[in-house]
Amino acid sequence: MNAYLVAATVLIAAIAPCLAVCLRGSVMEAIAALELCGTLTTLALICLAEGFHRQAYFGVALVCSVLVWIGGLVFVRFAGRLK
Amino acid sequence: MSPFNLAVTALLAAGVACEVLCALGVLVMRGPFQKLHYASAGTTVGAFFIGLAIVARETLHAGGAVEVSAGGLEVLAAVCFMFLLGPAVTILTARTARRLEHEPVEITPAELERGS
Repeated sequence: MNAYLVAATVLIAAIAPCLAVCLRGSVMEAIAALELCGTLTTLALICLAEGFHRQAYFGVALVCSVLVWIGGLVFVRFAGRLK
Repeated sequence: MSPFNLAVTALLAAGVACEVLCALGVLVMRGPFQKLHYASAGTTVGAFFIGLAIVARETLHAGGAVEVSAGGLEVLAAVCFMFLLGPAVTILTARTARRLEHEPVEITPAELERGS
């Protein structure tokens, strides 16, 4: 197990506090936590790709970063209609 | 361990530490605006350190040789995307949260008076 796989494991574990906020917090608090979840997922995918020495997996992280950004915009757009 | 590997590992550790700190900040802080500070820092500071470590690992080789690989470019694109466009989502989230909590988004005279 190299340093990148350890880093990926820690990053995945760091998603747990964000999920707790998603479950317990208000809508906007949950969206803020969800944005950090997306960032952590993308960085974990990057670290996993480097840790397993598979360059093709970097494409997954790139697509994830774009989708997380678009997803954040959509969530915020529809959350604004709640009031 | 060579100095280069040590530097890359230190950058990686710094980035992961930043991300863990941001996750704990999102958990502990109260209110969407306080939590957004930490979520935004996770998108920029931690991502910068981790991206720098991976890009250095992918492009720099022993003897100072630089070899640009597809993997390095993809990591650079992913991190630049998060670093540059992440704050746009943060600003939009903050504006929406303010609209939900306080009706007008514009600065009120009272806020202008006290400077916050």
